[in-house]
Amino acid sequence: MIGAAWTVLCKELRDALRDRRTLLTIVLSSVAVGPLVLVLLSTLVAGIEQQAESREIVVAGIEHAPTLRNYLERQTYSIRPAPGQFEQRLQDKRLGEPVLVIAEGFEAELARGEAPRVELVLSSANPRAQAGASRLARLLQGFAQEQATLRLAWRGVSPATLQAIEVDERDLASPAARAAQWTALVPFFVLMAVLYGALHAALDTTAGERERGSLEPLLLNPVSPLALVLGKWGAVAAVAMLIALLSCASFLPGQWLLRSETLAAMFRFGVGEGAMFLALLLPLAAALSALLMAIAIRCRSVKEAQANATVLVLAVSLLPLLTLFNQEGEAPWHLGVPALAQITLMGRVLKGEPIAAWELALPLMVSTVLAALCLAFVARSLRTAALK
Amino acid sequence: MIEVRGIARRFVQGHGRSARTVQAVDGLSWVAADGAISGLLGPNGAGKTTLLRIVAGLLAADAGQVLVDGIDVATQRQRALARIGVLSDARGLYPRLTALENIVYYGQLHGLSRAAAEARAAGLARTLQMEPLLPRRTEGFSQGERMKTALARALVHDPHNIILDEPTNGLDVPATRALREALRRLRDEQGKCIVFSTHLMQEVQRLCDPVLVMARGRAVAAGTVAELCAQTGHDDFERCFVQLAFGDAVEEGPR
Repeated sequence: MIGAAWTVLCKELRDALRDRRTLLTIVLSSVAVGPLVLVLLSTLVAGIEQQAESREIVVAGIEHAPTLRNYLERQTYSIRPAPGQFEQRLQDKRLGEPVLVIAEGFEAELARGEAPRVELVLSSANPRAQAGASRLARLLQGFAQEQATLRLAWRGVSPATLQAIEVDERDLASPAARAAQWTALVPFFVLMAVLYGALHAALDTTAGERERGSLEPLLLNPVSPLALVLGKWGAVAAVAMLIALLSCASFLPGQWLLRSETLAAMFRFGVGEGAMFLALLLPLAAALSALLMAIAIRCRSVKEAQANATVLVLAVSLLPLLTLFNQEGEAPWHLGVPALAQITLMGRVLKGEPIAAWELALPLMVSTVLAALCLAFVARSLRTAALK
Repeated sequence: MIEVRGIARRFVQGHGRSARTVQAVDGLSWVAADGAISGLLGPNGAGKTTLLRIVAGLLAADAGQVLVDGIDVATQRQRALARIGVLSDARGLYPRLTALENIVYYGQLHGLSRAAAEARAAGLARTLQMEPLLPRRTEGFSQGERMKTALARALVHDPHNIILDEPTNGLDVPATRALREALRRLRDEQGKCIVFSTHLMQEVQRLCDPVLVMARGRAVAAGTVAELCAQTGHDDFERCFVQLAFGDAVEEGPR
């Protein structure tokens, strides 16, 4: 039986490898996914960093407020005069900074102690300008505080009377955990690459075999259906595992492409993380292969099987959203659900959190049971499928 | 030798109320002898393919027994299959593999080594006059080329019993003639037991020794073409076949 299964495996692998165009598409997309996601992430993060670093503010009417200008320049901010029609530009998102508008009598009112009014113009539909607004508000707050402190000091009152409490911030997230906010997408893309890698081969060896009319003659060989199924599954799982390997490996050189130094420092994906990813993905690749075969064996054509497999693809792509949308964090049952367990654990690998042995063993066991059930089902349905 | 003893098989079509039972094979007994090409003739839907699938162990019979060289197909399917080569109704090839690889794959599944299977494929290619096809991928093969490849694949393990289900479907005249010639050589030179199932009378007339005429799952007549003609009193085998296969139905039918 092992000999026959091996013969089937070799044939199916050769058949799959001959399908160059499909294989090339799958391999290219799975290898490109890693670097592509990283580049997108780094561009996003680099953009945010750049805005945080640029010490420039846009002000209309700064000539009316020399004291404020003095304060801003002491904070090492450079001042850019607002362009004409800045309101329209903000709405069109052509201007990425909020605009501070200062009225004519500002300096005189300030001198009289009358609390002059300034206007902070922004559009909450313009996210870039929105991000700069809190920074500008903080600056103005600082200026107001300085003025108030000076006045109190003039009257002989300690500035500490204004400050009833003091607040210290303490950020508990480690650098790896902070980066995981951005890199949470990585496990998802790796998982989808594995699923799409298995999809074509799984459909071709089952529904494809039915469609070609080659399943009936195949069953006329003196080989048990289980041996045939094991051979086919071996080939499909091998392709899926190859894709998993390529996809994980692509993140290693992908790190060189990171444009954001902060992200490069925070995105920890070395050989160790890659090996953990593989340890999680390989059993899942085997289980998903078997599940896809079980779905496809009931279908008479590859087209029909593709339509049916869409349900699985959709489920696998929606499951990880649970972890994104779930406010209560990780629940123990997550580790018992295939795909969700792997996403969760891969996320923890990226955050640098430890993973207990049982947490690895549970998804492995679930994958094994799932694969065994699906293979038994395919072996049982093979003969009926051949004749219909 | 293939012995069929009292085989019966029903199918249920549809579900629930609209379900109806079709008796595809109805208590059929028959022997296909060694050193002969036995014809299995019947109109479409007579139950030929069902019968052959039961002989090949793809379907279980509701009643009866099939012996291939004395081996019971139902209980020792794999041993029996090792002694049969089947060219079934479905004869799909793997389009990305060459004809040689398609044939060798089946040889290996029959337990041959790669070298032995390749040698056997080369020999079959000579017999079937398909040597130029061997190194080509089967994608884009003509019907005749496909049939030859499928036949070589079915015969790769040199089976003593050969079952051909409508082998001339889609073949042109030269290909049909070449197939007939090859089958005669297998019968005369190696004494094989060959079963040739078809709905075409001309094929049976040209090739088969004894003929079993099937209709509605039952054996309605058996004998050589000459004996069948004598039995019905027709000189023309076509009229003889029509009477044997449809005679009762025409009388009983509502028309």
